[in-house]
Amino acid sequence: MDLTYSPIEGKSRGYRIMVAILSVMVAVMATSYLVAYLNGLQVWGISNSVPWGQLITLDIYFIGLSAGAIVVSGLCYVLRREEYKPIGRIAVFMGLLLFTGAMVCVLVDLGRPEKFWRLFMYGYLNNMTSMFAINSIWYGGYILLMLVYLWLALENKTRLAMIVGTIDVLWAIGVHSFTGAIFGLIGTREILFSPIKPFEFIAAALTSGTALLILVVVVAFKFSKRYIDKKVILSLGRLLSIIIIVLFAMVFFDKFTHIYFPHRAGTVFLFTGHYWWLFWVFQIGMGLIIPLIILFHPKAGKSVKGVVIASISVVIGVLGERAALVIPGTAQVQQLYPGTIEGVWGAAGVFPITLWETALALGIVALVALLFVVGLKYLELLPTTEVAEVGEAPEASEVSEASVSTVEAEG
Amino acid sequence: MAKWGMVIDLDKCAGCQACTVACKEENSVPHGSPQEQGQRREIYWNRVIAVSKGEYPTVRVEFIPIPCMHCEDAPCVTVCPAKATYRRDDGIVIQDFRRCIGCRYCIVACPYGVRGFNFKDQTEEEYHRPDLPPTRADRGPWPFPQRIRGVVEKCTFCFHRIDQGLKEGKKIGVDVVPACVEACPTKARTFGDLDDPDSEVSRLLATRGSFRLREELSTHPKVYYLHG
Repeated sequence: MDLTYSPIEGKSRGYRIMVAILSVMVAVMATSYLVAYLNGLQVWGISNSVPWGQLITLDIYFIGLSAGAIVVSGLCYVLRREEYKPIGRIAVFMGLLLFTGAMVCVLVDLGRPEKFWRLFMYGYLNNMTSMFAINSIWYGGYILLMLVYLWLALENKTRLAMIVGTIDVLWAIGVHSFTGAIFGLIGTREILFSPIKPFEFIAAALTSGTALLILVVVVAFKFSKRYIDKKVILSLGRLLSIIIIVLFAMVFFDKFTHIYFPHRAGTVFLFTGHYWWLFWVFQIGMGLIIPLIILFHPKAGKSVKGVVIASISVVIGVLGERAALVIPGTAQVQQLYPGTIEGVWGAAGVFPITLWETALALGIVALVALLFVVGLKYLELLPTTEVAEVGEAPEASEVSEASVSTVEAEG
Repeated sequence: MAKWGMVIDLDKCAGCQACTVACKEENSVPHGSPQEQGQRREIYWNRVIAVSKGEYPTVRVEFIPIPCMHCEDAPCVTVCPAKATYRRDDGIVIQDFRRCIGCRYCIVACPYGVRGFNFKDQTEEEYHRPDLPPTRADRGPWPFPQRIRGVVEKCTFCFHRIDQGLKEGKKIGVDVVPACVEACPTKARTFGDLDDPDSEVSRLLATRGSFRLREELSTHPKVYYLHG
């Protein structure tokens, strides 16, 4: 099957409105960042008890989505599976943009962003025992690899794309497992500390990356009036269901290990503390149980609509999973001395949702979405097959408005 | 090389917070409003926590003063990507504002919660000392007598006093001590060289039962507590 790709026209009313809305959100992002930069991070919800907030949550979420998208692109460029060819380019492009978004998140989260270059001094002025410094190697290499990979994919240099793609898929797995290690290696925080964390991150990346790719592909093909074989979506749905089971097993054994032994205060706090809903509703409910029920439902699991709804649930659930790691992970009171610590020092951390931090986080999502829709217009990312030529793509057009708005919100 | 450490006698500590105030004064530690204190945004290099055990009428409350533990194997030093937190030869763990990029990884990694982030620019307060930085202003960790927003800071065992005292040939632990030790009205705190068998800290540790906070984490803190 020889595919030709073409950019979308981008002259429709809907496209212009979308670009306009996203541009406004990016402008709001720039403003809210300026506010935070000039006033200090006091305008955010973070504190000395919950030092990482929405930006770090979004950062690791984006890195996961990017790694997931790149790994799925490997189905097309590394394993050379013909049926995934229509989504290959878009997966690589998504990987690059989402990772750019992640880097914006981590940059604006720094207290002194102008000194970010210290992270990239590779042992000279930075401390290579820090996971942040080690990750500067992973992240720097990852961006370069993705740029080359995307260029090769756009140029149809399949042989080279296979080589670079293989390295990039492995590198993406490295990127995300070391991102997990940022948290998993912190021995003092019971909720974070776990040798399984890097693997859990990879599994979460694959679930959220595949789910977002499904959503983006369905919506992009529908709105550009192009045809995608239903089988591609359904097989991605099957892939999704398998990775969710792997993720489920990892989360289960991680929490089971931590709650089995009497040293369980951290896990009890996660399960029953004031952020219980992040774990139960989002991570377990929307991230694992609901999508599994839908995907294994004899009817819903075999329709594009069902797969799309499961994907929406995963995309939101995994964002909640990241928040359930970052926020309760540090909010838990560290037991310095046996007994009850009185007053403010013994109270679990609270993370208020503040205007400027939320505007900044949503703005970064909008920035990624804007780059994506502009990319669709100027790069040859989508295959040209018209709906009319094939005649029949009923499932894809049944996608509800809800999924469309979610994709816009999630990038 | 000396190994500076502190011994705190919990039997003597009355929970008066004089150490907390003296520390703020000595090091010009940024001021915060009561609201910011409630939000856990105020910076304390030293704090005194009250820990209660049991139910009324058989309740017991202990006061635990917590400065930086200056761990031998400090997690903050391991995780700092910018070499902003480092350990000096004498074991004091220092924060260099000029290098700090404000990633707050050290706050996540610190097992004792002794690190504070500058959420705003420091306001001028009358207790601030204009004479800081006392020494090493040109190359040391005090490029900003006034803090800028966006960097992390912590207790330094008043290293400027120690350095000055050594230069003047004074005896550390006797003539020169950190501000919190000096301010303690009950003399609950003792400072000195843990490697010197004749120092007061060594003598106290040899004669009384002692413990360190969260010893199971093997960070080897250099702040010891005598049982109350």
